[in-house]
Amino acid sequence: MSELLLKLVEIDKYFGKVHTLKNINLDINKAESIGLVGDNGAGKSTLIKIISGYHQAEKGEIYWEGKKVNLRHPKIARALGVETVYQEQALAPHLSIARNIFMGREISQTAGFMNEKKMAEESMSALECLGLNIRNSEIPVSKLSGGERQGVAIARALHFHAKLIILDEPTVALAVKEVQEVLQFIRHMKSQGIAVIFITHNLHHVYSVADRIIVLSRGEIIGDIKTKDTDVDKLSDLIVTGTMGKLA
Amino acid sequence: MKANVLLRYKFIGVLAIFVVLILLVGFFSPGYTFTTVQNIGNLLSFGPELAIIVLGAGLLMIAGEFDLSVGSVLAFCAFVFQRLFTAGLHPLLSFIIVIAVGAVLGFINGIITVKAKILSFITTLGTMMLWRGLTLLLSGGIQSPCDTSAYPRFTALFSGTIGGFFPAQAVWYILIALLLVFLLHKHKFGNWVYSTGDNAMAARSMCINTDWVKIGCFMIVGALVALSSVIQIIRVAAFSSRVGTGWELRVIAAAVVGGTSLRGGRGTMIGIFLGACIIVIIENALTIMRLAYEWTFMVYGLVIMSAALLDLFIEKRKTKLAE
Repeated sequence: MSELLLKLVEIDKYFGKVHTLKNINLDINKAESIGLVGDNGAGKSTLIKIISGYHQAEKGEIYWEGKKVNLRHPKIARALGVETVYQEQALAPHLSIARNIFMGREISQTAGFMNEKKMAEESMSALECLGLNIRNSEIPVSKLSGGERQGVAIARALHFHAKLIILDEPTVALAVKEVQEVLQFIRHMKSQGIAVIFITHNLHHVYSVADRIIVLSRGEIIGDIKTKDTDVDKLSDLIVTGTMGKLA
Repeated sequence: MKANVLLRYKFIGVLAIFVVLILLVGFFSPGYTFTTVQNIGNLLSFGPELAIIVLGAGLLMIAGEFDLSVGSVLAFCAFVFQRLFTAGLHPLLSFIIVIAVGAVLGFINGIITVKAKILSFITTLGTMMLWRGLTLLLSGGIQSPCDTSAYPRFTALFSGTIGGFFPAQAVWYILIALLLVFLLHKHKFGNWVYSTGDNAMAARSMCINTDWVKIGCFMIVGALVALSSVIQIIRVAAFSSRVGTGWELRVIAAAVVGGTSLRGGRGTMIGIFLGACIIVIIENALTIMRLAYEWTFMVYGLVIMSAALLDLFIEKRKTKLAE
């Protein structure tokens, strides 16, 4: 029986006069993987930023594991177990893998001095857990392939015991093989009991790993469908026309 | 193993330049003047005045910001020290106050840059003018004496020698360099500095307060400039409103020669330490070799270009070996 992890109730978000999110109602269960799709400007980024505590909604409530929460800062969301992997903002290219994984959460002993040996060991085990075959955690991440970089960012989220991982366009600009690696990471997270929300424009990618697909259009959810109940063409129609009730 | 060495010791290029430079200058200086005890003594006494500031400025550059106001802050701090001391305040107390003043000026640079979201280049261009102007206004542009010899222990702390030879200024430089090596490379604050300079958005999404990291670095620069101003004024025993003129570019050049990227996020404290030594040695060499002033620019240009190209070469070697 799937348990409810996150519940958004009547969420409204404004940026000045722009009504970016309208009456969003969303349930996310544990170990569920959700594809968040919709055209540009639909409000996908805003929605995930509300869930990760980066923005605050003007109206509505958020419940985490049944309890009402106020996600007024990313630190609070992170403490609950929400980790986000943003597109270009995930990693510092010239820093090593270990330093990236522990960015802002460095393992330190007395007076804040880092325990680099422990950071290296734990980085390697975090990478291994995800099945990433990287031999040296001192390599700067800019030397890794796009798929491996996503892997490092995801390994970071996993290492800090995330219960919900949000991925912002994880497969964009990746080669075919790298895309498969990332989709495999997403399946791995599911198998670990972690819920995943990922934003994508690529309906084929979403179709291959998501349990459910949420379609956003002009700030509203116009579709909340189980993947097995739809197909890529129907999804595409829905997004393009932006109307409800097209799926019989 | 070889790849690990290059990966770990990113300052190897700078070290190579440093060694080659010493050999060249040592060999080609007329009468081998470079290697005389007196010249080395001069290098170790005067060099740290610039070099100490380079350590801080390099740290700030790794965080992704610049401070063009260092020369003006130097003059302003010297002015404050001179006025406090000649007004009768104990030199140690004057020293402490001046360090605080330097830190505050650094804070001002930092807070304007991060809160008003102005490029630090512009902010510090403004403060550079401001503090220089204020110093000139308040001092009337007049040189004033500042003789601390009545306090021999205090004076020796900043201009004495250890073992009859090794200058106190050099000891200050080495101690501060060690402190900053630990701060930048071993402390978590150092990781925040690198993260902020390399990808500020990533750092912020990892809940690093990049604003305070930058302000902290600006304050370190300010405090180090203040220290340098006291070291200098004790040596010269006088305040001059023209001190520090043109220092900002020497400081940045030294940090760049030391392998610090102008784009932020890259550099090592040992590299910065060596870069400062290299610039000081070049300036010394130009003097003792009696090269015409015009050559100064050529030499600076060549050294900076070589440092940049060597850095690129080593980066490429690292990629090859890591594969």
